[in-house]
Amino acid sequence: MQQPHIELEDLRVTLGKREILHGLNLQLRGRTVGLLGPNGAGKSTLISTMLGFWKPSAGTARVMGFDVRTEARQIRSLIGYMPENDSFIANMPAISFVRLGAELSGLPAEQALERAHEALFYVGLGEARYRKLGAYSLGMKQMAKLAQAIVHGPKVLILDEPTNGLDPQARTRMIKLIQEMRELGTMHIVVCSHLLRDIEETCEEAVILKAGNIVHHSNLEEERAANKRFVEMETEGDDGTFADAIGKLGCVCSVTAGKIRTVLPEGIEIRDIYRLAADRDIQLRRMNYRRDSLEDIFLKAMERREEPVNGSL
Amino acid sequence: MAVYKRTYKPYAGPLTTPILRFLVVQRYAFNTVSKSRLLNTGYVACFIPVIFVICALYLNQNASVLGLVGQHPGFMKIDGSFFMNILGFQGVLAGILTAFIGPSLVAPDLVNGSLSLYMSRPISRAEYILGKGAVIGALAGAITLLPALLMFFVQSSLVGWNWMLNNIYLLNASVFVCSIIIAIFTLLGLAMSALVRWKIVAGALILAVFAIGKGFGAMIDNVMRTNSGNYLDLQTLIQIVAMDMFHTTPQSTEYVPVWSAWVALIAICGLLLFILNRKLRVCEVAG
Repeated sequence: MQQPHIELEDLRVTLGKREILHGLNLQLRGRTVGLLGPNGAGKSTLISTMLGFWKPSAGTARVMGFDVRTEARQIRSLIGYMPENDSFIANMPAISFVRLGAELSGLPAEQALERAHEALFYVGLGEARYRKLGAYSLGMKQMAKLAQAIVHGPKVLILDEPTNGLDPQARTRMIKLIQEMRELGTMHIVVCSHLLRDIEETCEEAVILKAGNIVHHSNLEEERAANKRFVEMETEGDDGTFADAIGKLGCVCSVTAGKIRTVLPEGIEIRDIYRLAADRDIQLRRMNYRRDSLEDIFLKAMERREEPVNGSL
Repeated sequence: MAVYKRTYKPYAGPLTTPILRFLVVQRYAFNTVSKSRLLNTGYVACFIPVIFVICALYLNQNASVLGLVGQHPGFMKIDGSFFMNILGFQGVLAGILTAFIGPSLVAPDLVNGSLSLYMSRPISRAEYILGKGAVIGALAGAITLLPALLMFFVQSSLVGWNWMLNNIYLLNASVFVCSIIIAIFTLLGLAMSALVRWKIVAGALILAVFAIGKGFGAMIDNVMRTNSGNYLDLQTLIQIVAMDMFHTTPQSTEYVPVWSAWVALIAICGLLLFILNRKLRVCEVAG
């Protein structure tokens, strides 16, 4: 089994007198992981802890096997971080800014310059690389932040709200870049976002935080596959017994607002539902394979009580 | 990851020594500072008095030139007072220099949150401070310590090794006093730059620390009839320590003891370091 790149063991972080993260247990192995949660859920604190900005008050956190408490320097040399907030030196050209990041990560000056050129071309800022960052648009600044995060070839890339403030075109470009990097498979990517669509399009795993607890951790691919067995129907001429009949087939079934929702177990196919309807002379007016979107997962997780989930896949 | 391919490739080349990583911060900060023509011109001008002093040292031992004005070699006494006066003047220039360059060192990293990018790299807060401080340290050192060393060795070569051996305390005093000046100015420049993000205000504040401290100190001394006001006056504190090290007679009796001046200077350095560290800590996390 692949070693987890991020491992949390009963991680507790206290800021002031307030405990922000309440004993998180998590093992992340996927190439791309989405970190979700409402404001104040503890996402930024978790990222800061992984970067070594906050020391755990109890428990441990390890990134690529290094302990955040004692080996923050080694961790930082393996991490590429794109912060959510503005992070640039206004009167510095993008090329110098990205080169500075590379040199701080340990690249010799010449290689750092070469990599800075390449990283800026890669994110689409090649032609604007000698312009000062203060003169960049918001979208360009986001791309420059991404360039500085990847310039040194990190093993773990942390992207905090990467599509913040981007227009649709720039967002598509950013998502495409993340997908490309994921496909290359040379780094693990953690995407922290409020935009569920971004996570859905880029991530294999999703971790949902709520009030300092992990309330959901799942493999999105597996969820998607499982949800293909989910069927939603609208009927005409049903006297209320159709749902019971479906239930007798062995399906878990619920009726809300005139819609029948069911999950088909192994061995039961859609044609069995059609046969059942035909036998009872019931019209099936609408039938959807309704994929349970990340939004549904997120909303369910938010409704759930704050019971910590042991996050290991 | 060649440019023309526009694709991403991890880096597998060599890495630099972690212990010298602070020099990257220093180099980039120095590049930013050295872009100002006004500063470059002013900085070069700081060496003009030194050239005059070196010439004066030479002429002081030149019998034929001195004979023209009816003086004998050695008419100018080269002792602790001489060194202290020159260092005092160069120290003022170093203070003005700090007021110019200090604000452009840390503030730009705090204005748009780039500090979190520094700190997410394998570099510590101490290394960041060391790198930024090295800029003020190197520049201030070149106009204080370097002239003092130059004066000492030029005088030694002109007068002889006996003078050098008899006055070795001037060398020690120069190194110590210049180190104090450099440490105070470096920490003051960085702390003010971290506290006030507006460059002009931060620069004015650096100069104000000296002026206001002196004013308040004098006021306290006059009103309360004590010497405690010295503790607020950075210039006087450095002067007290320098007078002791250069073996000069105090011009006034209204000075606090030398040991307490040392303690006060160390406490001020500690306070400035605390302010700097606290401010950077907040900004590195908040971004």
